[in-house]
Amino acid sequence: MDRSEPRPPPQEVAEGEDFGYRLFPERRGEAKPQRSFLSTSLFTFNHKCQLMLKIALDTSPYAQLLLDAMKQSGCTVYKDRHFACEDCDGCVSGGFDSATSQIVLCQNNIHHQSHMNRVVTHELIHAFDHCRAHVDWFSNVKHLACSEIRAANLSGDCSLINEMTRFKFGLKQHHQTCVRDRAIRSILAVRKVSKETAEKAVDGVFDSCFNDHEPFGRVPHSKSDAKYAYRNFQNRDRYYANL
Amino acid sequence: MADRGAWRPPRTCEDYWSEWKHCKGIRNLFHNYYTYGEAPSCEQWKIDYGNCRKWEKSKSPDAKESLCKSERARILEKQKYDPVWQLRKSPPRDWYLPLGQDKPK
Repeated sequence: MDRSEPRPPPQEVAEGEDFGYRLFPERRGEAKPQRSFLSTSLFTFNHKCQLMLKIALDTSPYAQLLLDAMKQSGCTVYKDRHFACEDCDGCVSGGFDSATSQIVLCQNNIHHQSHMNRVVTHELIHAFDHCRAHVDWFSNVKHLACSEIRAANLSGDCSLINEMTRFKFGLKQHHQTCVRDRAIRSILAVRKVSKETAEKAVDGVFDSCFNDHEPFGRVPHSKSDAKYAYRNFQNRDRYYANL
Repeated sequence: MADRGAWRPPRTCEDYWSEWKHCKGIRNLFHNYYTYGEAPSCEQWKIDYGNCRKWEKSKSPDAKESLCKSERARILEKQKYDPVWQLRKSPPRDWYLPLGQDKPK
């Protein structure tokens, strides 16, 4: 079974550290709102979230490649077990809860299919990392930084168009600037660490993690790139047998 | 490695061709500049395509050797950096645990 490697001594947990769970009130076991007109709207959000999730899993080449790669690694993803549509606080779009092996999708903050596709891809990358490696999500900021770098890099979060909608303009190598900044923001959202600590962690692992393109084999900038990557993934047996 | 009769190029020749065309395209030029600050290098895909066709036509050992060398170089390029974490030998044991049997938060 899972042979645990000796863990490095855990870093001191900061006072008041909640590992980001404050953003996901339903995960904290808080009571769901009572039935009312408002809850009818919530029901609609939940239904819409479930529908968009299904479309993402069925049609996005990013998601399909990740699902296949995870299956190959021994972590078959089941929609009803490994995904949850919930209300979240703030502007967060989703998260990966390693304690329950679940991807949380923020039904109150995801309103367009393209956004859902991107969030699903982003969180599946975290789940993929959790499945294939001993990622110490809670005690090792560098591990968290690495997964956030990969997720920002490979999910389409940092496309030129997405950056322009955030009023962040740049062209030459701007993708890397975006990946770095978003990784730092993600760490600060879920860990009580200083900005300097987050920056140091990201910069310390950036080269290694920015160039780790598994399971895509490349940075998929478009659906077309993702389809090429998926084709290569499906061809991997022939590829490795004939090197 | 498989015996001489069973070897085939790691990718189909059509794959090498389409990777070359994709690499050369204007969209990829833009994406590469946006990501790495420079134009992509696509020549190797064309060389590999040529070797692939050469192998198909004449089973040339030079073509086979060049193709293998090229693909191994691609893999080595990806292994340039030390990994941050240790890979698992088996998946997490709680991946399939039913919900409700979670560890306390």
